[in-house]
Amino acid sequence: MQKAPHVTDYLTRHCADDEYGCLRGFEAQGGYRAAHTALREMTPQKILDEVRQAGLQGRGGAGFCAGLKWSFMPAPEQQPSYLVCNADESEPGSFKDRLLLERAPHQLLEGILLAARAIGAQKSFIYIRGEYAEAARVMQRAVDEAHAKGYLGDDVMGSGFSHDVVVVRGAGSYICGEETALLESLEGKRGHPRVKPPFPAQRGAFDRPSTVNNVETLCHVPHIIGRGAAWFRSTGTEKSPGTTLFGVSGHVVRPGLFELPLGTPLDEIIFEHAGGVADGRKVKGVIPGGLSMPILPAGELDVAMANEFLQEKGSALGTGGIIVMDDRTCMVRTACVISEFYRAESCGQCGPCREGTAWINDIVTRVERGTGTAEDLELLVDICDGMEGQTICAFADAAAWPVRALLKHFYADFERHVREGVCSFSGSFQL
Amino acid sequence: MVISKAIRDQIEAENANYPRARGGLLAALHRVQREYGAITPEHATALAPIFDMTAVEVLAVVSFYDMLSSQPAGRHQVRVCTNLSCSLAGAREFLREIENHLGITRGETSADGRITLGHEACLGACANAPMMRVDDRYYEDLDTESARQVLDALD
Amino acid sequence: MATAAGVACEAEIVRITVDGLEYRLHAGPSLLAALDQIGVLMGEVDIPHYCWHAKLSSDGSCRLCQVEIDGQTGLQTACNTPVRDGMIVHTRSEAVVRARQTVLEFLMLNHPLDCPVCDQAGECKLQDYAWRYGAPNSRSREPRRKLEKRIDLGPGVVLDRERCILCRRCVRFCREIPRTGELAVFGRGDRSVIGLFPGVQLDNAYSMNVVDLCPVGALTSRDFRCKARAWQLESVEGVCGGCARGCNIWLDVAKGEVQRYRPRRNDAVNDTWMCDAGRLSYAEIARSDRLDKAWIRNQESVLEPVSVASAISEAARMLAGLVAEKGAGVIAGIASPHATNEDLFAFKRLLDEIGTENSGLAVPHGEADELLICAEKAANATGARAIGFEDARSLLERIRGGGVDGIVILGHDILTAGYLDDETLLGKIDSVILIDTHQSSLMRVAQVVLPARHLAEKAGTLTNCDRRVQRVRPALAADSELLTEGEIVHRLALALGLNGFEAGYDLPRVSRSLAAAVPPFAGITIESLPSDGAQLVSDGGEKGAVR
Ligand SMILES: Cc1cc2nc3c(=O)[nH]c(=O)nc-3n(C[C@H](O)[C@H](O)[C@H](O)COP(=O)(O)O)c2cc1C
Ligand code: SF4
Ligand code: SF4
Ligand code: FES
Repeated sequence: MQKAPHVTDYLTRHCADDEYGCLRGFEAQGGYRAAHTALREMTPQKILDEVRQAGLQGRGGAGFCAGLKWSFMPAPEQQPSYLVCNADESEPGSFKDRLLLERAPHQLLEGILLAARAIGAQKSFIYIRGEYAEAARVMQRAVDEAHAKGYLGDDVMGSGFSHDVVVVRGAGSYICGEETALLESLEGKRGHPRVKPPFPAQRGAFDRPSTVNNVETLCHVPHIIGRGAAWFRSTGTEKSPGTTLFGVSGHVVRPGLFELPLGTPLDEIIFEHAGGVADGRKVKGVIPGGLSMPILPAGELDVAMANEFLQEKGSALGTGGIIVMDDRTCMVRTACVISEFYRAESCGQCGPCREGTAWINDIVTRVERGTGTAEDLELLVDICDGMEGQTICAFADAAAWPVRALLKHFYADFERHVREGVCSFSGSFQL
Repeated sequence: MVISKAIRDQIEAENANYPRARGGLLAALHRVQREYGAITPEHATALAPIFDMTAVEVLAVVSFYDMLSSQPAGRHQVRVCTNLSCSLAGAREFLREIENHLGITRGETSADGRITLGHEACLGACANAPMMRVDDRYYEDLDTESARQVLDALD
Repeated sequence: MATAAGVACEAEIVRITVDGLEYRLHAGPSLLAALDQIGVLMGEVDIPHYCWHAKLSSDGSCRLCQVEIDGQTGLQTACNTPVRDGMIVHTRSEAVVRARQTVLEFLMLNHPLDCPVCDQAGECKLQDYAWRYGAPNSRSREPRRKLEKRIDLGPGVVLDRERCILCRRCVRFCREIPRTGELAVFGRGDRSVIGLFPGVQLDNAYSMNVVDLCPVGALTSRDFRCKARAWQLESVEGVCGGCARGCNIWLDVAKGEVQRYRPRRNDAVNDTWMCDAGRLSYAEIARSDRLDKAWIRNQESVLEPVSVASAISEAARMLAGLVAEKGAGVIAGIASPHATNEDLFAFKRLLDEIGTENSGLAVPHGEADELLICAEKAANATGARAIGFEDARSLLERIRGGGVDGIVILGHDILTAGYLDDETLLGKIDSVILIDTHQSSLMRVAQVVLPARHLAEKAGTLTNCDRRVQRVRPALAADSELLTEGEIVHRLALALGLNGFEAGYDLPRVSRSLAAAVPPFAGITIESLPSDGAQLVSDGGEKGAVR
């Protein structure tokens, strides 16, 4: 069972409380109140407008405005249409959705009800990564409870709105977090991302209009509907309102989850909330938003954790998974671990991604072992160029960015490997 | 019957949740694997008509997903996360010690057929490394000693 | 073309610019498909592609077909970008050139450098594109991936996994065309491979099309293996004689022999496919039972070889004798559905000028399917019927009644199911003159046997099941003793002194007479026939071939 966050706010305030996982405990904390009111008193358009005004950004990695995405759905006459909750959380360094699924399942269900109402979907699928067996069990129990209570099924809460939720388990594949690969997987296929257009709102799950939203994105919705867009905008930044769950891992004293306003400075998260670097060491680099996001060197940690600021530094918020590396860490080994992952997880359909991920991993591994050359390092950059923006989905970009950033900020580490022929970073993790 | 009536009934009940039966495929594959240890070509042949697919497609799907296998493996699947966060917390050294303890390397199954060991992409337990997944359960904040105890207790 | 139909769908026609040239094409389909429809793709407009294929669903994974489109950021894949009016496309910009080089470099990374022993060499799109668009040298120092080099997928096709670039054309083909779906991609990422279900073979009626589809040498024909190098082959346009579909083919010739048939695209007939049986039927051309000389039955009732000229004189002598003695009504002719329209027209005229109405047509039948394979196992039954040959069964009745004393038989199809079980009945006829490409038991009852050219050795036209007239050209030079059925009957007519047969046999003239004399053929002559054929003018009162 996932541990409760070290710092909490509205999303996670009650996550330490076991009762909160049950319908009764959830309602005792005010849960489902927003749904009760909204389903009966607000039109779908009103719900959508509220979320749009709140400026809620998707928390799945791309940061796309949720209300805007919902507005792409065709008029409700085009039934059936679906809401798909992306609970595939597989971005290395991310573990926030797991908490929300395991410790606050009804909060997600309430968010799903509201979102589904707004877009006119009568069925939702929660696609949970296969390894999250516990989360799937908890969610299924919550769905059953909600059904029994009339919060799902026909005529939800007497509102006339009907909705069903199906809990689906993935089977072990990172790419199935990419929304169109997820849709393929949901349809019982190999998780090959689809060529877009058509976008999911035009043709999504089972060829029907669909919206895909991340778990956390949907969890914010009841709070927005319950307290209003203006309240939501009172935290976070102008462009990135609300809180988010930062997951901090790696070389920190207090790894874990921290629910903090978007825009919280990275150094504050690392040094205040997560207790700083363990063993009194210094930071060497930090990946700010899950493995796919470009690393920031130690000198750039004074950045506010929101896309508009991170992008200026050449990185992005991603999933908010912060990976801290101390000054013993060998960045060539880091590149090995990262490239090994992308090689393993590429779905394999696009030539540049399938071959590029493997090639990068081969070269980086060779450089790590000491048989790399200076040309290899140049070649790595060229390979990244050849992958970025050239493929069906953003996986290839996600595979290239971290390598490019490691080379950019820690070229010296790579040169040292090339020059010395061995890893001379004593104290770095082993491969 | 390669797939029992009971399992087949469960599969068909699950399929009703989806606009097309095939939506229930992954659930069915999980079920068959749990029940029979693997999704063999015979299982694929039995499943294919239920999902309006060809048997080769079923196996192609199986081959895409890490948690599914067409080859029988050990009774327990043990996976150690070795992604970056865990590696920074010593997961690779940890995995090596587990390998020594079990006398097998990643990808192998112990001689008694008890355990298949592997390493895996991030499992979403980055703040609680080292960690391992044993079948459907997570064990977090491990050290070699506590991991040994978990492994030795497996039947 | 400003045809009535063209005007009718004017609304859907859009104008786009590609590299400064304007094209008018249909809106809707992808840029590649639209350019392909107007026939400029890979001609005037050069957009290399691997995974896209005109007759398969689009895939979009190879990433080679990227082009630059004004107003859009980044490059777009031409295979799934819909055509819009006013679109301005660049296929030669620096960004496009660079993208192609990188994509090709990626795909070449693990490709074995075994072109010298690869059957695809010379017609390999990897070799071709790498040379045309690629970076000069691979910068990879990594060892190439080692995979199975020879997997027998089925009776016709061999897979080399190292050469595969995972374009999935073969997978889509099996799912979408024969709908047998034998192939699939297994594994993920750089472990992806093409494979079959354990114990199942790639064995459907169209399996060998994957060999043509495969842009590289990963799928090769077991039959063609190591037979010839692509650059030694000369390709001649032809039509398969295997069934009434008349699939358009290339006859690939080397060392004076046809080495293989390959489908030739004709969207009105066979798209880009042909069946395996038809594909392998080239072997009949040089089979050991080919008739290569003329025979006459001698005093001892034994067939002895003679020159074609003497065989024709002998045949003429026999026929003339019978006509003089018993009248033209005792003469009959059996037409071959394998012969060309021109051969058959000449034959029809021979019979008409002799003055007999005894004629018939025997068509072998077999299995048919929904795709291409027709029940009529000959290429020109429809043409034969259009020219006026009717089913041979009533003629056989007349023969049984003893009313026929001399017969000219083209081919041996009369021996197939539904007609005759064996040659016994024909043995009762005094003078049997056989004109055929291959030996058969009819030779036992023949007085004169004349060898004829195979479709691969002659020019002419054939009429397929959908009444489409298509042209064949000689792929092989036949020796002077081997004539077409048309020329043989023409010489026979001359020897008989019949009316209206001019001295030399001239195929274009025969073709023009056919067009003039047989209404459905009006306007269709061998010289004016487009390479994708033309439809017979009207129904002409007879029924088309059964599918
Ligand atoms: C390679 C890749 C992996 C992804 N993995 C996830 C994931 O595990 N969970 C998730 O919510 N979004 C993931 N995404 C983002 C989704 O494609 C999609 O943008 C998101 O689910 C939309 O939800 P949101 O708008 O609520 O953020 C991934 C994207 C890519 C390109
Ligand atoms: S970019 Fe990579 S992961 Fe995405 S579709 Fe292409 S091959 Fe698959
Ligand atoms: S075998 Fe040929 S056609 Fe099939 S995927 Fe590989 S390269 Fe493409
Ligand atoms: S032809 Fe367009 S991506 Fe392959």
